[in-house]
Amino acid sequence: MKIARTPLAILAAGAALAFLPLLGLPAFYDSLLYLALHWIVLATSWNILSGYSGYFSFGHGAFFGAGIYTSANLMARYDWPFLWTLPAAAAVAALLGVALGAVVFRVKGVRGEVFALLTLAITFVIGTVVTNTPLDGGNGVSLAGVAVPKLGPTPSATFYLLALAAAVATLLIAWGIQASKFGAGLFAIHDDEDAAEVMGVPTYRYKLVALAISCALAGVAGGIHALFLSYVTAGDVFTIAVPLTVVLMSVLGGTRHWAGPAVGAVAITALLYSFTAADHAVAGKAAIGAILIAAILFMPEGILARVARLWRGKAAPAVAAAPAPPPAAAAPARPAPCRVAGQPHDEVLLRVRGLAKSFKGVHALAGVDLEVRRGEILGLLGPNGSGKSTFINVVSGHFAPTRGAIWFEGRSLNGLPAHRVAGSGIARTYQIPRPFAHLNVLQNVAIATLFGGAVRDPAAARRQAMQWLEFTGLEDKRDAHPDDLNLHQRKFLELARALASRPRLVLLDEVLCGLTPSEIDDAVALIRRIRDQGASIVFVEHVMRAVMALTDRIVVFNHGEMLAEGAAHDVMQRPEVMTAYLGRALHA
Amino acid sequence: MPSLSLLSQSILSGVFVGALYGLMGLGLGLSWGLLRLINLAHFAFAFLAAYLCFQLAAMGMDPLLTLPILVPLFFVLGAALHWVMARFAISPFNSLLLTFGLTGIAESLIQSIWTADFRKLESRYAQLKFKVGELYVPVPELITLVLACALCFALWAVLRYTDLGRAMRAAAQDAPVAAAFGVNEKALGLLLAGTCAGLASVAGVCVALSFTLAPSQMYAWIGVVFAAVMLGGLGSALGPLVAGVLIGVSEAVTMAVTAPSWAPIVSFTLLILILLLRPGKST
Amino acid sequence: MLEVHALEVAYGAARALWGVSLSVHAGELLCVVGPNGAGKTTLINTLAGMLRARGGRIDFEGRDITRLAPHRFCEAGIALVPEGRRLFTGMSVLENLELGSYLPGPKARRRETLAQVLELFPALRQKLASPAGELSGGQQQMVAIARALMARPRLLLLDEPSLGLSPLIVHDLFAAIRRINASGVSVLLVEQNVAMAMEVSQRAYVLEEGRMVAEGTPQALLAQPEIARAYLGV
Repeated sequence: MKIARTPLAILAAGAALAFLPLLGLPAFYDSLLYLALHWIVLATSWNILSGYSGYFSFGHGAFFGAGIYTSANLMARYDWPFLWTLPAAAAVAALLGVALGAVVFRVKGVRGEVFALLTLAITFVIGTVVTNTPLDGGNGVSLAGVAVPKLGPTPSATFYLLALAAAVATLLIAWGIQASKFGAGLFAIHDDEDAAEVMGVPTYRYKLVALAISCALAGVAGGIHALFLSYVTAGDVFTIAVPLTVVLMSVLGGTRHWAGPAVGAVAITALLYSFTAADHAVAGKAAIGAILIAAILFMPEGILARVARLWRGKAAPAVAAAPAPPPAAAAPARPAPCRVAGQPHDEVLLRVRGLAKSFKGVHALAGVDLEVRRGEILGLLGPNGSGKSTFINVVSGHFAPTRGAIWFEGRSLNGLPAHRVAGSGIARTYQIPRPFAHLNVLQNVAIATLFGGAVRDPAAARRQAMQWLEFTGLEDKRDAHPDDLNLHQRKFLELARALASRPRLVLLDEVLCGLTPSEIDDAVALIRRIRDQGASIVFVEHVMRAVMALTDRIVVFNHGEMLAEGAAHDVMQRPEVMTAYLGRALHA
Repeated sequence: MPSLSLLSQSILSGVFVGALYGLMGLGLGLSWGLLRLINLAHFAFAFLAAYLCFQLAAMGMDPLLTLPILVPLFFVLGAALHWVMARFAISPFNSLLLTFGLTGIAESLIQSIWTADFRKLESRYAQLKFKVGELYVPVPELITLVLACALCFALWAVLRYTDLGRAMRAAAQDAPVAAAFGVNEKALGLLLAGTCAGLASVAGVCVALSFTLAPSQMYAWIGVVFAAVMLGGLGSALGPLVAGVLIGVSEAVTMAVTAPSWAPIVSFTLLILILLLRPGKST
Repeated sequence: MLEVHALEVAYGAARALWGVSLSVHAGELLCVVGPNGAGKTTLINTLAGMLRARGGRIDFEGRDITRLAPHRFCEAGIALVPEGRRLFTGMSVLENLELGSYLPGPKARRRETLAQVLELFPALRQKLASPAGELSGGQQQMVAIARALMARPRLLLLDEPSLGLSPLIVHDLFAAIRRINASGVSVLLVEQNVAMAMEVSQRAYVLEEGRMVAEGTPQALLAQPEIARAYLGV
């Protein structure tokens, strides 16, 4: 099995640094390095949940504190040997995190600043409880009598080595997560949790696991730190200081990379040290605040990202804004398997009976009967407000129908939420594309392959995603970010993502809106290729040229009901349809 | 169980401290609700004002007379901060982080000028108190209550009944359409930000009147005031006052019945419950 | 009164209007029709100052207003009835109307204008204290129009007033629009409902995929194939 370079590099660095105590430096340096490593563990562990998934927690102090107090109490009251308290500290912190997360993550609206405040409040509550119970009792816990195990030449060396081991482990875990399917899911949650959920990412489970890992690592750091301090008080631990510092370190270094928080931790520790050494501790705090402000204003992505971008800019010659090759010209690679299309459409794929949807008394859909046959392209037309988009939203599971039934491939879809419908073989695009903003084009499609196409291995997912990009003509743009794409390309990206889960039915919601005539031609050709691949297509559209060219059959909606059905050219000339669009005036 | 008079005295002091929570929360809540900015620097402004008031009082000035100096000063500071944040188009979450940084700087500034020692403002108000029946009413706390109620009601009236208030509420809900009717969102934002900072400075003076000052004290207020704001409703002028008093009274009763160190649990638990039960209403 | 030359508007990379020109003469009732996605809302929002044009020119009463700040368009004499009403739902109907007359000029004549507006829409008299969000679609549309009238504009912009409303209400609404025009206010109406729009207007433009493709009186336009092609594709 091929082992990646990065973990080897981390282990090698760790091994090399392990020999440092043998140099016989004064204890002061061991302690300083210990602190730097200690913060690496805290910041990196925080980042695993908060940086990767975007759930900025201000409660890291609570879990760190839980670790400290578990260790301290086990050592002081029950005479546990120090090293055995570490796994206990990790376990307690992780359990606490999972218990909280199980409740908090269930509540839909708790995100962003609400989550941050919630975790901060939890810290203070736990701190108060600890202070007022025998866990601390207001007097703190003294560990003066506890023996420090002899792992290194001196006690401070021992702590250094323990922190080093913890730091190496944490960095390896952080790297491992980033490179895995789990990490890809977390990054997707960061950009657009709802879209990620529809795509099949198990958001609740992933967030809980990330929280558990984050807390466990913080707990270990706490356990080690308890003995390092040898005297712990609740007032010092359950405060805003720890969360603020880890947020600062991670934001400074870069929250999207496993090494970002470590970079920030080293930088800030060095900075604080230089201030303290020069006897300006107070100014040090001000400097920290100033750095945070500067980072938010000027370098919101962190040092690492900025450096990486500079590096890439130098290494590769600037990719000139070459005109995107006309997608129609390229012979698209066909991701296997492909079905031969072209037979008469007679098998019913989607059946809808009596579908109705009302919003507060307004009947958006008033009893629709519809069938979509395998291999056909069906157009949904109608004036504004006629119910077309509502129909798509109900079929895809975003709205629950008020009445009626939906069957897909013989199975009932009634009551299924959006992500289950997506998992059944139906994919949809949105009128306004919602790509994951921080991921590049390839990663965007890879997420869909990983979670919608149920591929396990990120590398395989990327290969398949590449094939879909070639299919839609976006292969040149694979490293670009969605913001760099024009509207046309963004819509094609949407299509690639929708196709990556290999749906049997594709619902397109006004996908041609806003495109130039030549872009529309490209899109029409692509849609035809999608049907030739074996998918059936239902699309809502206003661009009549495309409707005429593409559809086998159209359905016209009006006031929430089906007005007419049949071949496009034929239907659009029927009097009732012309009246619906143009009114009586035409016949005056 | 404490005696009735002790309990009543506790409740009264809870009302007083709760009014201060409300006054502190007034600017924070208006800023969050109407400007979509979570301004932790609000606490920095309040404490800077508190220390400045202490300093001016130590030089002989009557603490209440510092208000005409401090309020305009902080109005300008608040407007300037808002201008910077608007210029960089800071998101609500980043505004939380950024103002957190400012709070750290302010704390260092305070500590470098006034050291970490406890400071107590000595004024002629400090010793005054009334006796109403069995209850003692200390004058500094009474001043705080009066100021809090007056300012909260004044702002409520402005928001509810004046064109300016309507314009602010409209701009908060749908700024482009408000602009289509002539509402200059940028100018209003500066005005509101300055007002919130001015309110913070008044709260700071009240803190100086009644409490002992220390740089780290700033953080002790953050949790409680946020609880008052979220409980009372973002963008509301009277909500935080009512919520603050509720919190203050529950804390005081908890302290009287159990022990002072249990007090923080009340406000933070309330905050947690509010955040869990009505997250949608909070943002 | 209003002259638009070669207007170019885009959302980021996506172009919405390509060299659109039109003119509104004082006292006219003019409509712009076109299928969905044609750019009608983009056009109206640019004329109201909510969007900034990338190219071209807008002259209002002889003054170039293309680069004016968004909140100054109302001062110039242009008021907007946005698509989907966009009332301030947190405020009462009366407060919405008062907001309409926020600027000093209209504010001075607020009472007078309010009386006029309530005469035009008597159904709103009972609803003044109700929260705007609780009204029915038709009532909300009345409030939106009334709010714009409170600004005492010389040009009223209406964005798809018939959207989501039943035919009967639409009929009453357009009767009110005709009355407004008769009182001297120029009206520019953007609509997807061709029938109603053509019935009230004196002149019309057809917008398709971001470009003006036809212009003329309603009768003349309906005789041409452009409209049928734009809407029906045949």
